[in-house]
Amino acid sequence: MAAQVEKKRRRNVLLTRQRQAGIGMLLPGLIIICGITIFPIIYSIWMSLNNVSLTQNGYAMSFTGLSNFNAVIHASSFWHSTWFTFYYSVATVAAELIFGLLIALAINNVQKLKNLSIVVMLIPWSLITVISAQMWDYIYDGVYGVLNYIVVSLHLVSHPVTWLGTPVSAVSAMMIADIWKTTPFVVIIILAGLQMIPNEFYEAARMDGANSWQVFWHIIFPQLRGSIALAGLFRILQAFGVFDLPFVLTNGGPGTATQSLAMLGEKVLFQDLHFGTGSAVAVATVLIVLIISLVFLSAFRSLVTEGEAQ
Amino acid sequence: MIQPMWRKVVGYVVLILFLLMILLPFYWMFVTAFKPDTEIAAYPPHFIPQHPTFSHFKQAFVQYNFWPFIRNSIIVSLISTFLVLLFGSMAGFSLARLPIPGRTGIMVALLVISMFPAIAVVSPLYVLLKSLGWLNTYQALIVPYTAFNMPFAIWILRNYFLQVPGALFEAASVDGASVFRTFYQIFLPMTTPGLFTAAVFTFVACWTEFLFALVFNSSNAMRTIPVGIALFSGQYSVPYGTIFAGSLVAVVPIIILVIIFRKWIVSGLTQGAVKG
Repeated sequence: MAAQVEKKRRRNVLLTRQRQAGIGMLLPGLIIICGITIFPIIYSIWMSLNNVSLTQNGYAMSFTGLSNFNAVIHASSFWHSTWFTFYYSVATVAAELIFGLLIALAINNVQKLKNLSIVVMLIPWSLITVISAQMWDYIYDGVYGVLNYIVVSLHLVSHPVTWLGTPVSAVSAMMIADIWKTTPFVVIIILAGLQMIPNEFYEAARMDGANSWQVFWHIIFPQLRGSIALAGLFRILQAFGVFDLPFVLTNGGPGTATQSLAMLGEKVLFQDLHFGTGSAVAVATVLIVLIISLVFLSAFRSLVTEGEAQ
Repeated sequence: MIQPMWRKVVGYVVLILFLLMILLPFYWMFVTAFKPDTEIAAYPPHFIPQHPTFSHFKQAFVQYNFWPFIRNSIIVSLISTFLVLLFGSMAGFSLARLPIPGRTGIMVALLVISMFPAIAVVSPLYVLLKSLGWLNTYQALIVPYTAFNMPFAIWILRNYFLQVPGALFEAASVDGASVFRTFYQIFLPMTTPGLFTAAVFTFVACWTEFLFALVFNSSNAMRTIPVGIALFSGQYSVPYGTIFAGSLVAVVPIIILVIIFRKWIVSGLTQGAVKG
């Protein structure tokens, strides 16, 4: 009896010690993360409710309630940027997922060149976006760009086109630059998912006389659905913050055709120096991201529990 | 699985076309760096440089002073990566193996935080850094980079710590080893692949980051490579040759890194953790 109580007591001591050590090891990281992400976001909300003016050695704030948001909501540039950012993100990511899936399915059984392919596919991923934007800027050049040379030589157009000069072509040009950079990354993820499907699945399906489409729809797709959905969600949220690509490639233009929400925020904050209004744009962006995240929260949760089951 | 000949052929054709699509724009940047200015603006373009030259590399480093950008990027990225590994591995271990209240909640919160766009925090951080007198310093980038990359590192490392058999932890605590000692003497060495993965991802993210670097460190001496390259453009024309020469110097070390660490990058991408 006494021995059992003693054992229980020692176990409790051990648990308490482990808990204390765990909190001690977790806290430094959490404090840095909260200090640089959560606290600034809260402060951003506060700034968006104030009229902020930069002074010589700091800034002065005066509370103005929702007037910054009122200004933002009534600014057509905000709605334009929101709409552009939204359809840019959705269309680009949809294209990346579709191309990624098709390419991965086609090359899944190629046995040779594996190492080389992986290295090549990782190059765009590791490339500084600013560099790839300059690269595409040169390719798209309206006078001597190589793209013009190619389409003119193929007689697709008769004169060189200023690709970044009209809204429709500038948006497409920007999407292509992003699709070029991120599709290989999607291919790698989907390839890894395909390798996890046991060969017996295919064999069994073939025995039952399933054709290629049936194999894809009933065997492959259900296995991949989760990872595709998650990759897509992450990519959309990431594309929502797009800044460097339009900053270098189009500078938001022509006009404001490619001005993303992040670019609008940066412009209002650091070029117009309207910190209150700029913070309101930033807070609105976060709200949109949060809504998207909350819609998919259940997907996040299942990811956590999946990890725990391992 | 026996597969028909045509599928094999299609596979090879698609793979080679795909690799070419990736490499061709890159090839174009590469050869442009070695072309004299007259060839860069030539139409029709030359697909192979007629008079290859290293003059743009000289221009980038002498006239445009490119070296400090590289130095700044290396300092900021290396220190941030080290700090992320230091704090991230402790937090990841703690969340994987120790009885912390609210673990699932913390993990979900970390995931959501890592998805916040940088623009969300840039104005308060700017004001904060300004009042600390930290604008145009290394810490102005190191601290935000550490904070922004840690959630993802914690996720990856936690997954690796979960794969180490729990019995090891029990055994160590029965032997009277302290929790921290168990962590760094037993668990940390067993999760070196995870550390590599987290390190490469953090390093690449810091190396490529643009918004913070542009806003916080705008003075010429403190710019990182992306800011330097973005603001390279001259008043009248874009000096593509110089830009691409500088870019190649910035890109080559990363490509070497990718070749060495490709296995860990792929495992990081597929560990249920997807971030570009």
